Amino acid sequence: MVDLFSTPILVTIILGVVGLAIPAIDAGRRERGADRNKIYSAIAFGALVVAMGIVVFRIFTGEVLPAVAFSQDVIVDDMFGSFFAIALLLVSIMVTASSWNYYKGKSNPAAYYSLILLSSIGMVIIAYSTDLVMLLVAWELMSLPTYALAGFAKRDPISNEAAIKYFMFGALSSALIVLAIGLVYGITGTTNIGDSIGAMASLDESLMPIGLLAVALFIAGFGFKMGLVPFHMWLPDAYEGSPTTIGALLAAGTKKAGFAAALRVIVLGMFALNLDWTLTLGVVAVFTMILGNLGALVQKSVPRILAYSSIAQAGYIMMGIALAPYSDQALTGSLFHIINHAVMKSAAFIAAASVAVALAGYSLDKYRGLGRRMPITAIALSISLLALAGVPPLSGFWSKLVIFGAGINSGPLVEWGPWLAIAGVLNSALSLGYYAWIIRKMYMEEGPDMSRVKEPRAIVAVLVFAMVFMVGFGIWHAPLLDFASRAIPDLSSSITQVTMIGGN
Amino acid sequence: MSELIDFLIVSIALVAIGIYGLVVKRNAIRMLFSIEIIANAANLTLVAFSRGLPNAQGQTFALFSIAIAAAEVAVGLGLIIVAYRLYREIDVAEFRSMRG
Repeated sequence: MVDLFSTPILVTIILGVVGLAIPAIDAGRRERGADRNKIYSAIAFGALVVAMGIVVFRIFTGEVLPAVAFSQDVIVDDMFGSFFAIALLLVSIMVTASSWNYYKGKSNPAAYYSLILLSSIGMVIIAYSTDLVMLLVAWELMSLPTYALAGFAKRDPISNEAAIKYFMFGALSSALIVLAIGLVYGITGTTNIGDSIGAMASLDESLMPIGLLAVALFIAGFGFKMGLVPFHMWLPDAYEGSPTTIGALLAAGTKKAGFAAALRVIVLGMFALNLDWTLTLGVVAVFTMILGNLGALVQKSVPRILAYSSIAQAGYIMMGIALAPYSDQALTGSLFHIINHAVMKSAAFIAAASVAVALAGYSLDKYRGLGRRMPITAIALSISLLALAGVPPLSGFWSKLVIFGAGINSGPLVEWGPWLAIAGVLNSALSLGYYAWIIRKMYMEEGPDMSRVKEPRAIVAVLVFAMVFMVGFGIWHAPLLDFASRAIPDLSSSITQVTMIGGN
Repeated sequence: MSELIDFLIVSIALVAIGIYGLVVKRNAIRMLFSIEIIANAANLTLVAFSRGLPNAQGQTFALFSIAIAAAEVAVGLGLIIVAYRLYREIDVAEFRSMRG
């Protein structure tokens, strides 16, 4: 049985109760004051901080299990889940706090914060779930609110277009996931991830094609959310068109949850099936990086550049996953990059939201002379862009170093490993092309109007926090790297354990 | 066992129809229904497999999946209604204000 006081259950209860209470409070209130947005933002922020506090507290008290790959329950309270919960709640906290300013004076604030909280529950539960049924329910709980949130600016045709594109591909991806789960259930007779992988390892030869089809469908289904290259076409439109804070939630939050699901299912599945999928994933990673970076080079709107850059970043994370069987460092690097990217990308999107609030525009022209007009936003955007490019000594540098190092170290085992690392380094250099271009616009060029603009206060607080995170963990990266390495399940031993169960 | 194969053939046919609709049609509601056909093909697979297996997990799962698909359609139709109000049109080829 699931312990009622385990971390995922407590987080679900807190966020769920508050998420449902906000619309109820709104319905009960008589006056329709302009302060509604502030009140609900504060409530949602408080609930997320409490949830985050519980996750961190339980790690320190040692009640959380070490990272396990499988469990007989539907959810397991382990380090892997806690790691993703921290990364994803961090994104939600930054998004709600910056919505204090961004969402001021817009309609339906109660539903907006309620949907963010519900989506956060989904993201967190994905990371903890060890059963395919739970995984699908959490996946949908994450996705459905974000479809509505992407189209939340009802009178804005661009927001609606973004939401429809996002919805179509999102619904297709969940249909593919259900199909994949159906096939896995059909050939193994169970929906528990551990049991089904154990049964897959001793699969009858004639059923092998169905197993392969299921893995391919899982990669396609999760790949849509992760923005891997053959499945990325909706992503720039959806991230650009949705409200900018929601862009942060999509790029930094739901994408990471997709990686959590992929790690739980596909990576372990690859180990169990003894498949040679790693080369395929490596090729996907390289194409994802190249296409993301080339696409970003020609864009004029900052959220769109950030959207393409998040495709490229998914490529770096995927690289670590592709190298997972050959190097112990690779998955650690991927997880390290996941938490770094969550903070870097949401900081960049929130800086764009700050410009949208103060100057009412997204195009690069608005960013001319930003260094003098909005100094804190400009410096935060510069630091997050440099961290995304992997410039030392910022946090993004270390995670890329670990991933690329894993690629080079895996040379004796797999000949394309070093080439993958070289592709990654070249892509980082390429990405600096457009990141530096934005920074040049902000500091070197003069806009038509150089007067100082008042920066939104809550957003400044979020950006300062993000800067401290990026610079602090850049200078002293050891604790975060250690945390990431503790979140990796011991793959080989869990596979042998589960194969023994399957063999009986 | 041959019964199971029959169900699976129907399910594969439904997936093919769904993908055809998704690729060829440009009407947002038709595309939504194509996706629904794929999802229902998946549900059919689950129930068909569940018949031959000693546990009922597949049928439970299909119920979950149907409920979720209903919620998904509700959100999707809501978005399409908003699109109709804005454009007087639900042809996805018309939704192209973002380029690049």
